[in-house]
Amino acid sequence: MNNATYAKLCGGLALVWALGLMFIPPFATTVEGLMLLFLSTNAR
Amino acid sequence: MLKIILQILGIMVLLLAVTLVTLTLKNRNADGPSVLFPGGELVSGQLHQGAEPDWSFTDDVFTIELQTADPVSSRRIFIMESDGKVYVPSGYMRSILGRLWKDWAFQVEDGSSLVVARINGVRYERNLLRLQDPAVVDGVAAKLAQKYAGGATPDNVAQIMESVAEGDTWLFEMAPRSEQP
Repeated sequence: MNNATYAKLCGGLALVWALGLMFIPPFATTVEGLMLLFLSTNAR
Repeated sequence: MLKIILQILGIMVLLLAVTLVTLTLKNRNADGPSVLFPGGELVSGQLHQGAEPDWSFTDDVFTIELQTADPVSSRRIFIMESDGKVYVPSGYMRSILGRLWKDWAFQVEDGSSLVVARINGVRYERNLLRLQDPAVVDGVAAKLAQKYAGGATPDNVAQIMESVAEGDTWLFEMAPRSEQP
């Protein structure tokens, strides 16, 4: 994958991800749950 | 091959950064916290006035919302009742991630102890006092183990007592505002 394609992929993913977090509550809750699991496992 | 691995890592870091920024901005002025990210001032809900409640009802409450005053921010937190008083814990206090995650507890320790707790939709104005008396910690640790650690077995309670004694877990009494440290 060349740099231009990679940059477009990153931009698109970031946009879709952010919109999902903002407007799809179950998605945001799932992501937060995974982060909480990571923190409670590793923050020792 | 190395380039592909780096590109995948880059995407993972990007998504983590987008998540942190998006959810921080989304929640920071909200009326209460999300699962993990701090919210803003607790606005809705009746403000409790009058006599101290019988805090035993919190045995059926898994988490409460706790708002600190300076700076104004709120988070979800465990709650334990013991001997008629009510307590909140803050764990991971000696780790780097814990210091970032539980910054509110350090702010309370530094003097910003006035808080508002919202429990079952009712707001309570309280004052957080760090608990270090082993005689009291014993009962609170037992309740913490019973509610959140799979049962108040001697091993679980001893583990929590040790964590408190070593400073990994901090306990605060949610005292009435009339009580000063």
